[in-house]
Amino acid sequence: MSNQPSRIAGDVPIRWSRYKFPDTFLRYGAWLCVFVFLVYCVEYLNIPLDRLLGVFGRMGDIVANRYYPPDMEYIMDREYLDYVVETIQMAYLGALFGIGLTLPLGWFAAYNMTPSRRFIYPLARLITMSCRAVHEMIWAILFVSILGYGMLAGVLALTLFCTGFAGKLLAEEIEAIDMGPVEAMRSTGANLFQTMIFGVFPQIRVAFTGIAIYTWDVAFRAATVVGFFGAGGMGWYLKRNVLQIETERVAAILISILILVMISETVSAWARGKAMKMQ
Amino acid sequence: MNDEATAIRMTSDIILERRRKSRNVRLCVYLALTLLVAWSVQVTIIDDTDWERMGSLANVLEGANRFIGIDFSLFKDLVEPTIETFMIACLGTLLGVIICIPAAWFGAMNITPFKPITYPLARMMMTISRSIHEIVWALFFVAVVGLGALPGIFAIAVRSVGFIAKMSAEAIEDIDPGPVEAIRSVGGNNLQVLIYAILPQILPQVLGVIIFEWEINIRRSAILGLVGAGGLGLVFFRQMNTFNYHGVMTVIIAILGLILLGEAFSHWVRRKII
Repeated sequence: MSNQPSRIAGDVPIRWSRYKFPDTFLRYGAWLCVFVFLVYCVEYLNIPLDRLLGVFGRMGDIVANRYYPPDMEYIMDREYLDYVVETIQMAYLGALFGIGLTLPLGWFAAYNMTPSRRFIYPLARLITMSCRAVHEMIWAILFVSILGYGMLAGVLALTLFCTGFAGKLLAEEIEAIDMGPVEAMRSTGANLFQTMIFGVFPQIRVAFTGIAIYTWDVAFRAATVVGFFGAGGMGWYLKRNVLQIETERVAAILISILILVMISETVSAWARGKAMKMQ
Repeated sequence: MNDEATAIRMTSDIILERRRKSRNVRLCVYLALTLLVAWSVQVTIIDDTDWERMGSLANVLEGANRFIGIDFSLFKDLVEPTIETFMIACLGTLLGVIICIPAAWFGAMNITPFKPITYPLARMMMTISRSIHEIVWALFFVAVVGLGALPGIFAIAVRSVGFIAKMSAEAIEDIDPGPVEAIRSVGGNNLQVLIYAILPQILPQVLGVIIFEWEINIRRSAILGLVGAGGLGLVFFRQMNTFNYHGVMTVIIAILGLILLGEAFSHWVRRKII
């Protein structure tokens, strides 16, 4: 439709187009730049494009031959199930501690409520940012190297991960509140804590519950693999079997992770729905 | 008059009763949560930790102190892996977006071509992609295509499908049906409906999601080297294995810098789109 030439006075056919000359030029230029950048990436990373097509056949082959009959008995084992429970506990504690840390950090990192915009706000921002920026695996490795193998390292890694994750969400939530009640409380002479507890918290309570539940969900997903570098939980099982090339057991473990994540997702969706209704 | 008063009193009684009940329920829930915490702490932290190896608090602080410091000689070796990490994130996100197109199309309730099969299929794709960690994906792809950047790109692509496709499918489900009907009524086929009626409506939202995911992908690609997929993770792993703790710190700072850049860029672009 838009490509049909239309006629204006005189016999000059004019094509209608949404963008006029300098814009079109810029657009094509931008697309060209993106394309060149992608080609350069492929070149720089030495990606064998000619092998790319054969990859899918091999992928199917490997899945069918090596991973296919998942060793289900292996994951029904009592010891493995113990590890699963430990993983859940680790995620629970990590999320709990993380949310506990988030409460003050989210408050300090919210621009409208922070006690001191000059000192505490940037500091809290920096802490949440760096917690979020460093991947949970790196935290896990660092804690393992400091504290030794075991679930304490995993719990601490997950704590920092959750702090970064929930801190940002909570700060954004606090920044979006209605400032009326806060002003009213301040004008009656309430101190910082009182405005926080009676002015801000009732407004973010429901959102906070949602964030907390979601954080647990995310923490559980991360907890399934922090054990990879010795931080406890079922990740250790996964690593062991990967290293031993017991691919059928790896497939079984992946299936168990999948099922657990599905369950946790359903539970978290249900709980969030419930929390929203409480409003 | 009297009746009204009793009615009010009755309703207030009911409300009070209900409130007391909900308070009891809440108390039980809190109690259960506290017990769960106590049990978890007992099992994970107290039982499972090797307290003797850890030693006193001073030892732990000493262990943490080893990491403080920067290894300046590592800088020139960091440039190339940083660029690699960035490129892996970009290519991975792009590939993920390409895989997302069918997933979002099949996974949106209102436009899925054949509901009983394609819808659950797409949903399953999304769940699998989101629930398996990128490290595991990377291991799988390293086994399939060998070491290098390619498994990293695949892992990131597959991992980012879940989030992007889910958000896009939700965006598609929320569209205004008017334009769809308009295009249909002038004789547009399914593809034309998709391009001219649905895509323009979801584009800003989906672009925001893609950029957000791209930012997360930089973070992810920085660790894929741990399992042999190139980039900064490989340097990190090497420094860790050679016990060069200052080098480890330097790599972490490089990761932080890269992510800060990505975050600033994504913030700027998202503001521009919206």
